[in-house]
Amino acid sequence: MNLRAYKPLIPMMAVYAILIAIALSVEGMWQPVAYFMFYIALGQAFNIFLGLTGYVDFGYVAFLGLGAYGMGIAIQNFSHLGVIAIPIGIVLAVMMSVLLSLAVGAVALRLRGAYFAIATIGVNEGFRYLVEGVRLWGGTEGMILSGFMRKTFGREMTNFFSTFLADVLVIIVAFSAAVATIAILNRKMGYALLALREDEDAAKVMGINVTKYKIMAFITSAGFAGLIGATAWTLKLTYIFPEDVFNIHYTVEAIVIVMLGGAGTLLGPMIGGLIYGLMKYYLSVTFPGIQLLILAPILIAIVVAFPDGLMGYIKKKTRNSPLSEYLR
Amino acid sequence: MVVPEHLVSNLFYGALLGSVYGVATMGLSLIFGVLRIVNVGHGAFIMLGAFTAFWMFTLYSVIPILSIPIALIFGLALGFVIFYSTIKRLIDAPELSTLLATFAIGIFIEEVAKFVWGSDYVGFSWNIGTLYLGPITVPYTKLLAFVCSAAIAGLLYIWFTRTKLGTAIRAVVEDREGAMVCGINVGRIYSVSFAIGIGLTVLSGVLVTLFVPVGINVYMGPDYTLKGFVIAVLGGLGSPWGAFIAGFLFGLFENGSYTILGMIPGVEPFALTRFVAFVFLLIILLLKPTGLLGGE
Repeated sequence: MNLRAYKPLIPMMAVYAILIAIALSVEGMWQPVAYFMFYIALGQAFNIFLGLTGYVDFGYVAFLGLGAYGMGIAIQNFSHLGVIAIPIGIVLAVMMSVLLSLAVGAVALRLRGAYFAIATIGVNEGFRYLVEGVRLWGGTEGMILSGFMRKTFGREMTNFFSTFLADVLVIIVAFSAAVATIAILNRKMGYALLALREDEDAAKVMGINVTKYKIMAFITSAGFAGLIGATAWTLKLTYIFPEDVFNIHYTVEAIVIVMLGGAGTLLGPMIGGLIYGLMKYYLSVTFPGIQLLILAPILIAIVVAFPDGLMGYIKKKTRNSPLSEYLR
Repeated sequence: MVVPEHLVSNLFYGALLGSVYGVATMGLSLIFGVLRIVNVGHGAFIMLGAFTAFWMFTLYSVIPILSIPIALIFGLALGFVIFYSTIKRLIDAPELSTLLATFAIGIFIEEVAKFVWGSDYVGFSWNIGTLYLGPITVPYTKLLAFVCSAAIAGLLYIWFTRTKLGTAIRAVVEDREGAMVCGINVGRIYSVSFAIGIGLTVLSGVLVTLFVPVGINVYMGPDYTLKGFVIAVLGGLGSPWGAFIAGFLFGLFENGSYTILGMIPGVEPFALTRFVAFVFLLIILLLKPTGLLGGE
């Protein structure tokens, strides 16, 4: 393994270390940092598909939603095994979102551009209405697990899960998604996806198996999304409602983060997630109720003025400098 | 049997509502056809139209039918402003940029509306009597909405086929470069089509209020956006005529399916109808992306 190619993880680890240090040392900062980490994880996971392939999955949140339900189902059905229910939930969450991504990938990935975006919105909304329509997993009433978890795991343990363990797991997921990203970028798959993003037909003509790499990126991205849903939602919030976990706003937030930081870059989602999380958190603290009113024009300005994102800009500026080895 | 009668009247309502859906989706299809941009903030413009009708009625007692031209002019103006401020720079941008931009525009409109009007549900009632047709009872306002929708679609059809500008727009939909070679000012067609698309959408919001008299809310839009996608795909993305007919079919389907699924115990007919609609969406996209009614 060529370790030099993994150098860009060093600045990333530095940022994570600073964030964790702030969270642990400053009173009352653990929750805000956990909030930022959720957005970083979301961006990092989505970037593997959106950033690397250029396909816009407008129904991405469905994978988070299924992951959330996976964890919920495990807690409800395997609680007699005690704490083992949590790892079972994690496995189930990944399995469910990967299965959905296989199904969607096999059919919808034939479509391109706007058609793909609309098809994925259809998958997400269709899933939500299926859950509500046939009253699957509690239907519109959702799953409310807090009382149940307190009874089976004990009050202390439940609090530990939702205020500490869930956040730590989200940080681990974010970092693992980043490692997966750089591993893909350094392999043949990364170059194949780059070719696919530039010109899919040309890549196909050159003999690249574009379908295979597209689906691989899709599944990886979906698996991480399932993990985020299971940890940041079910384990942390202890409830699941279909209108929340299939809410298109999370997809859009993920797109914003990836774009803000720079699609297809390694460090972009971290920068994007941090900036977006900070903006959203402090706007909602200082201007409660009108944070979206302020955020929307900022988004439009970013789309129009910086389509390459911050990382794209930084990379352009540092090209051929010794720093460029650490930035990707 | 009570059910068939119920079904008949519901289907009739569906047909009336469907014509309004059709007009509400024509703008979405027109914008996609000409600019290749999916307007994810579509519903916000319907909301603006609904509020136009509401305020004109409550403040100045203007009946909704007369609000239609007002909403159209308002929508056209808004369309030009949005086009020249944002969309113009994104015409050849990847989907990522245009989807995000139109979504952000939608949120912005919703949030401004919430800031100004608050987030409560409002409504008005405009009563001009009811028509009794055997098992069907239908308020004249809904019939009027149907007549207006059909008239608007008809006028638009004539405008598109008989005027120079309309023909030019169709040429751009067909082949951008070809139209350019023929001396069509494609940039102008973009701005005009976008404005007409937004104008039609805001206008359709007025018609929508005749069906949801008390359901006017700043966040009513996204629901119509999603229905709009299903209808636009059904009619063949980019084809306003297809969208109108598909809207009609969707109205029939929605009310019919709601009634039939309502007879199955233990399910939520409302949500399940949506589920079926999205399954249709996927099937059509995969098997015939030009739409059920579209040709090539």
